Amino acid sequence: MKMHAIVLILILLMLILLSGNVNAIAYCSLRDPVAQIAELYPQKTNQLSIVKTVDDNIRSQVQIALPSNDLHFSELGRHTLYIAMFGKEILGYVHVRSEQSDWGLVEIVWAIDKDLRITNFVFQRCRSPKKKIAQQSDFKHMFIGKNYQDLKQQLSADGVTAKKSVLTNAQGAHELANVVLRCALKTLLLTEVLWGEELEKL
Amino acid sequence: MKPLPFILLLLYLTFFFSVLSVPCYATFAQNLRWSIDGSARLNHNQALDNTSRIYALGLDTHKVFTNSNGDIGYGVGQVYWTKLSNHMPVPFLFSSKDDSDFIIREAHLNYTAGPNWLPNVRVGHFTLPFGLEESIDTNGRLLDYYLGKNLGTKLDWGVSLNKVINQIEYNFSYTLGGKDKAKSVDGSYAVTGRIGSLSHHDFVVGVSFFDGQIDDISRKRLALDWQYYWGTWGLLGELALGENNKRSQGWQKEKYSLIELNKTSINNQLKLYSQFIIKNKEFQASTDKLINIGFSYQFTTQLELSMSGVKQINSPASGQKKQLASVQLRYRY
Repeated sequence: MKMHAIVLILILLMLILLSGNVNAIAYCSLRDPVAQIAELYPQKTNQLSIVKTVDDNIRSQVQIALPSNDLHFSELGRHTLYIAMFGKEILGYVHVRSEQSDWGLVEIVWAIDKDLRITNFVFQRCRSPKKKIAQQSDFKHMFIGKNYQDLKQQLSADGVTAKKSVLTNAQGAHELANVVLRCALKTLLLTEVLWGEELEKL
Repeated sequence: MKPLPFILLLLYLTFFFSVLSVPCYATFAQNLRWSIDGSARLNHNQALDNTSRIYALGLDTHKVFTNSNGDIGYGVGQVYWTKLSNHMPVPFLFSSKDDSDFIIREAHLNYTAGPNWLPNVRVGHFTLPFGLEESIDTNGRLLDYYLGKNLGTKLDWGVSLNKVINQIEYNFSYTLGGKDKAKSVDGSYAVTGRIGSLSHHDFVVGVSFFDGQIDDISRKRLALDWQYYWGTWGLLGELALGENNKRSQGWQKEKYSLIELNKTSINNQLKLYSQFIIKNKEFQASTDKLINIGFSYQFTTQLELSMSGVKQINSPASGQKKQLASVQLRYRY
């Protein structure tokens, strides 16, 4: 096989693939959010991991509960819920979720209390130019203290963007607020559906 | 399979089952990730006018060990049956261009249950903590940061101390320099380390060092690596300076640098990269300059296609310019 033929095939394939649909899956990232867990729970002495499988059935449940939404392909597979502990005392849960955005995947590390309310969040990866706004407390308080039902009421009729009244606190970072809201909803839904039974036993 | 790695693999499995045998939160299947990983790679080496293939089929596992107090640590085990077909030059793990063997890639345990001020302790066969490879795993991929060529091996048996603390990640290892063999060969050893900023940030910088003797070649390296991400673009670099002493013939200075520009689609399905590599050896007539362009595309949950092409742009004093094209299809179940 000649080198130039391979290069030609490579270029053609790239052009075809660039126009393709999104329906694939990547490998599950095994990167533990060690630094982020410490930031969310500074008093934590240890953590407990519970790994569960997000499969097509779970994906369908998300699509039914949150119409117009889907799980990104990287969100399928084996995923970990971390339980932050101080000795034997449970401080809360940590759940990392990815959401597609105009700046690539946004990976958010969520801190959730025992009543499945958002207590805080930090970014593991966010390449939005408005990331700093999203790290401020005014922006964060759009989500902190809310459970799944509270957050669902913030969704507008299209099911993927936040209501205009909610976005007044987004300080111009509207698209990022929509991404964070979708991610929060899926995180809380999956935490309950997949890990709920396990968490009740603790 | 080599005897000592096999013994360590058995020890690894023994640890698995010993955790099972005591009352604990998790059962064997819990907190276990595994996949069957198969790949076929086609290479065409223009300089040698040779087409070769590499087939690999293996088991890739990751297990978090827990008890009622929390996580104890995790283990990674990757065992692959690998078959060469007309592959030249013959890699060190094989005896002929059509050989096949069981290969252990990563096989290690990382104990993470110590207090915050104590490092995690990793034991087993792992990737040496050096340069870009420390935060970007290239095992089983066409993407490469040339760790093996730079240090003499990519993976080695030994122990490492590692931790993520505040704004710093570190990983220091002492390994035996036997590469696939869990023993020191003719006095081989490797001391490797990297300390850097948090690898999930948009700007990452790290400093690495290496001092070792592998395959009768003593090497010393000091390296700086960095990553900068802007939107879906990434600009990466690594600069390694050092010297080699081959069979005590005298120290020879070596310089290696890599710059990579990459682009990922917003859905993470397509990754494109281009690398410019410069390798300079003291007493060598010309500096090697290479360009590597490649991409990977994830078709479905399991199926990934990747292609790459390496072309040498300088004219070496002896031999032909390096030109290598590779295509790989990988399926994980």
